[in-house]
Amino acid sequence: MIELLAQAPPPPSFWNRPPYSPELYVMVIGTIILGLALFFGLTYAPTRLKRPIVMTFTFLSGLFYVLLWLVPTPLKPKEPGELPLNPVDAAGIWFSDALPRVADVAQILSAFLLGLGIFSLLTIHIRKINRKQTDWGFSIVLLVSMVLMLGFGYADWIMKEFRDPLGLLQDSSNWTFVNQMSDLLFDGILQQMDAAMFSLIAFYILSAAYRAFRVRSVESTVLMASALILMLSLMGGVAYAWGQGIDALVIGTGNEFLNNLKITEVANWLRTNMQAPAIRAIEFGVGLGALAMGIRIWLGLERGGVSA
Amino acid sequence: MDYTLLKLFLGVVFTLLLYSVLYRENKAYRFAEHVFLGLAAGYTLVVVWRDILYVQWWQKMMGTVADGAAPAMPGYWVYAILLPIGLMGYTIFSKKNNWMSRIPIGIILGLWSGQQIQVWWNTYGPQILNSMRPVIPTTWESITRPITYTRGEGGIKVNLAPERVAEIQSNLYFTQALSNFIFVLTVVAAFSYFLFSFDLRGKFLNKFNTFGRWMLMIGFGAIFGSTVMARFALVIDRMSFIWQEFFGRLLTR
Amino acid sequence: MNWSKLQNVDRRVLYVILLVATSLGLFLPSRIPNDPEPAAKDLYALLMQLPEDKPVIIQSDWTNSTRGETMGHLEALCRILMSRRIKFVIYATADAQAGQVALNVIRQINEERKKAGLVTYREGVDYIYLGVFPNAEGAGQNMRNDIRKAWGTRQTKVDGQAGRVPVFDTAVLRNMRSVSDASLMVVITASATIDVAVQRLSDKVTMACMSTGVVAPSLLPFYQAGQLKGFAGGLRGAYDMEYMMAHGINYSPTPGQEPKVTAEKFGEIPPVPEGKSFERAARYFGTLHIALTLLILAVVMGNVGMFVAKKKAKGGNN
Repeated sequence: MIELLAQAPPPPSFWNRPPYSPELYVMVIGTIILGLALFFGLTYAPTRLKRPIVMTFTFLSGLFYVLLWLVPTPLKPKEPGELPLNPVDAAGIWFSDALPRVADVAQILSAFLLGLGIFSLLTIHIRKINRKQTDWGFSIVLLVSMVLMLGFGYADWIMKEFRDPLGLLQDSSNWTFVNQMSDLLFDGILQQMDAAMFSLIAFYILSAAYRAFRVRSVESTVLMASALILMLSLMGGVAYAWGQGIDALVIGTGNEFLNNLKITEVANWLRTNMQAPAIRAIEFGVGLGALAMGIRIWLGLERGGVSA
Repeated sequence: MDYTLLKLFLGVVFTLLLYSVLYRENKAYRFAEHVFLGLAAGYTLVVVWRDILYVQWWQKMMGTVADGAAPAMPGYWVYAILLPIGLMGYTIFSKKNNWMSRIPIGIILGLWSGQQIQVWWNTYGPQILNSMRPVIPTTWESITRPITYTRGEGGIKVNLAPERVAEIQSNLYFTQALSNFIFVLTVVAAFSYFLFSFDLRGKFLNKFNTFGRWMLMIGFGAIFGSTVMARFALVIDRMSFIWQEFFGRLLTR
Repeated sequence: MNWSKLQNVDRRVLYVILLVATSLGLFLPSRIPNDPEPAAKDLYALLMQLPEDKPVIIQSDWTNSTRGETMGHLEALCRILMSRRIKFVIYATADAQAGQVALNVIRQINEERKKAGLVTYREGVDYIYLGVFPNAEGAGQNMRNDIRKAWGTRQTKVDGQAGRVPVFDTAVLRNMRSVSDASLMVVITASATIDVAVQRLSDKVTMACMSTGVVAPSLLPFYQAGQLKGFAGGLRGAYDMEYMMAHGINYSPTPGQEPKVTAEKFGEIPPVPEGKSFERAARYFGTLHIALTLLILAVVMGNVGMFVAKKKAKGGNN
């Protein structure tokens, strides 16, 4: 197994080479060439093999986590040189060693695939500009914003990561024009627009509530009552004032049972004994669906999934 | 104009441009929308390398040279194989070979699905156990749970003796048992509505199913109320950004 | 009143009312008396009783798009931890922008503390920023399995020192062998990353959550089943935290006075010893009252209008 201790550099092995050494470059480039050969080899795969190939990749990836779950985890991490007690222990150690690498795989592949979305965004807008379709000016705006963010973002990163050993740029008073531009585009514009976009929904909710939230059936009445009690309890001030009134009443009458009429009490009871279990049931249903879907994808049974 | 003020000013301008869509669809909004998309796409490309591939892939593949207290780390060349596999994703644009794009996606989905069994039990195991609640009272000395304090002068609360409080807390009174019963009934009814999505025979099952639907509505009501709070909080934050952060700074400059 | 006219009011009128109401609300007095939610009380009590010698793990999964709620959460959490000198390690999963946003909050609270003459938190000494883990599932699974391997390759700058240091060589993480060595893990989130964290880590480390109002309902089952030891949901949750940071729980500044916040299951939990308490959430909370009232009014008027119209239609038929 590839060993990689957290702190001390690992001993040299078949799997590793000194950083940025010529041998490492040879191995890396060789691996990439091998991978590309596999890539082009696969383009000649006959049609009837395509489905089994994809299914094999999927199954093996899933199998790792299923075995990880089935094989007992070692009780404590082994000291260097300590031997496993028996084959099961050895397998457990192997799996726990392999886990970070396997988890890396998913992260790295997801990152490579992120580029896909950007790529198709680019093709759409470049085509729009080339053909001078309606509103192609906006496509230029999009590309310019993207290039600006890309340029200043990377320049900012390079300055902070490689040209600033003392960490002076952590303090914004030491920033140069590049750092300021990167911050302006990201924090000053992008982030604020992000917030503004999501806040637009509030306006639509208000309008929809006025027009469409009507007491027409038992269901909508129950939904509205539940929402109303919750919203009242969210208004801490209202709930508090109401509670003070009840307190005065309790002391006046000596009847402590009246305490149960506080908004906080009513809302809490409703939340604990009806809202929460209902949400639990919803999530339980969704969870069962995810479990079934997971098993179907893993075994290649899902139509329209990876195996179609 | 100092840098911070300029930054706030641009934030306000673009917020207002986006808000202009509330009046009606217009060019200013479309401009802002495209700036937004462009910046977001550009930023994603920065992050993909800076925070993901550089740290998780490049540094592990090429190793790191000694820096300060950090020792040199060797590079693991096998990581290089992920590049061709990742590139297979881009065959999606090819008519002949787009099936290959399912390989990296299949690996990611496979890794996800393999985790589901463990994940399912970790999520719902404790919840199933927690849903088994006692519904028979342990004492009939009082219907409701007695209060754990008495009122002193002027209505000030004085706690009872700790032993008495402990005794009250350890008992299950009738109203608590009833609440538990309602809890269990709600879980079962709402869940059965999910489970029995086909045609039901028998009056009782049908009624129970309808009851389950009502209980679901109670859940949705709670979700609605909470979501409303979330969205309003965002509008309030925007207004605070404009009036307090921007104008506040402009006026105190 | 002409209900049918009111039924057909232009949506833009509603928008303007909301804009004006939320703007004016910001200038109202903001220290609204409050009785925090039980889950928020649990969270505050937990934070105030943490041991000082163990680090806290913060997973910060939000960006400025939910700034109105989650920024208040992270601010409150940082203020509490800094006032108690508890070291923390912070990272983001899923959203690439989340890391930068969290760092901005830490920087701003540091500046605020500097102004007030309080000790500031230094990177690599008092806190560590691990960066972004793009795959929440993988990151959680790795942390569960072996935290030294999960974070082993990450390095940090150390304040006042050149170069970078492996994170486990710093004062923050030196004694951490497994995720259970953290005294608490707090997930601040605007999405379902809390589900992922609960699924993989809630049986290994004490876990709590601070989330947007959208996510909050789905936390209830976790909280009831003990998978989360406490949570603060939405703007209300943020205000609850600030309120307790100012008033404590079962705590009275002068003997004989009734505490502002009471809870049967705790002893006396003091307010934060130093720094700000009422801040962002307090500024917004009063306005939230106005906005929610507006919504309730809108629903009520819409329904009354419907009934009046129905009655009229019936009358017309007779």
